Amino acid sequence: MKMRSVPSNRPSNVPSLIVMVVAIAGLALTAAPAAGQAAAAKIPRLADGKPDFNGVWDRPRVNDITRDTDGCGSGASTVGCKQKGAGDLPYTAWGREQASGPRFDYAARCLPWGYTRAMGTAYPIEIIQTPKRLAYLFESNNVFHVIPTDGRKLPEGADPLWLGRSAGRYEGDTLVIETTGFNGQTWLDTAEHPSSDQLRVTERLRHIDVDHLEYEVTFEDPKTYSKPFKNTRIWSRMKPGEELMEWWCMENNKDLLEGLISPTHVNQP
Amino acid sequence: MKQMLALLIAGTLAAPIPVLAHHSFAAEFDAAKPVTVQGAVEKVEWTNPHIWVYVDAKDAAGKVERWQCEGGSPNTLARQGWSRDTLKPGDQVVIEGFRAKNGSNTCNSRTVKTANGKTLFAGSSLGQENP
Repeated sequence: MKMRSVPSNRPSNVPSLIVMVVAIAGLALTAAPAAGQAAAAKIPRLADGKPDFNGVWDRPRVNDITRDTDGCGSGASTVGCKQKGAGDLPYTAWGREQASGPRFDYAARCLPWGYTRAMGTAYPIEIIQTPKRLAYLFESNNVFHVIPTDGRKLPEGADPLWLGRSAGRYEGDTLVIETTGFNGQTWLDTAEHPSSDQLRVTERLRHIDVDHLEYEVTFEDPKTYSKPFKNTRIWSRMKPGEELMEWWCMENNKDLLEGLISPTHVNQP
Repeated sequence: MKQMLALLIAGTLAAPIPVLAHHSFAAEFDAAKPVTVQGAVEKVEWTNPHIWVYVDAKDAAGKVERWQCEGGSPNTLARQGWSRDTLKPGDQVVIEGFRAKNGSNTCNSRTVKTANGKTLFAGSSLGQENP
């Protein structure tokens, strides 16, 4: 069969390329489930078949949830960490007021970061996972957060907490963690984006491959923001032998103890 | 402010601003006041949440002024290759950073250049430029 059936002013290989591209795309679409299954088979799994997230993970330092950033925060030679930020935040009038007024950084007093700010620190996080529970161990402040994955629901009306209360469930190979019950005393990040006690955080954690996780976090806080927004991050497994270290905020907190930190200052949202 | 050889207020804001781990940068330091501190290390506090390097910097008249400059945490710096012995008393250093808002001889370190010409990143994070 003669292939050349195109106007002479067009390179002869263009239609062939188009046919090839369409054909390859069709093949790719057809092959996608199989490829997905192949990739899924390669990720580490617990004995019950659930994805295995155990490990020490380096993460992008997310000082500001509105911005993108590349690189892992720990200072080690880990590569591949990324952060896709939320862009400008949709403040409510109340939220804008919180973001504009004078305030003191509670973390300078070594109070807890709060859940989402802890997730943005430069320091690694370790995941300890069993079939019915998962624990985040944060190097920063050496604190932990336990997430039941045994089917229980989030409690209603419980006392508010700095890190909130979580419930996790598996949707295929994605672990979905919902967290509420916050005390409204924390910022979403170190760039001082405010939050309230209406904050609801939804994290979706899945393997990209053995050594990389996708971490997607959605922030909903109708008192502070008029609609939800999210960040998408990539975490990278730290090299064998790299472990969490001690980290104590009050060991030498000169910033606070010597009055170097301004009691109040104003940032513009 | 009196003229000092040891202290040069740089005119550029292009330098990356270090990210602090345990408090917001703006609560303590002024991104509009980049500073260079040059002198001899008096001591190093290798402590969380930040290391502190104390430097005796001489002004034009030879008068010594003590500076204190905050760096990253030992955890981050150790993972970058620092140790508690990287800087020793008496070492000559040039610290680039940002001055405290309260006007004291306090700075936040971005880099530390040592006498052998090595420049060390001194902040808490390599990943982000953000006040």
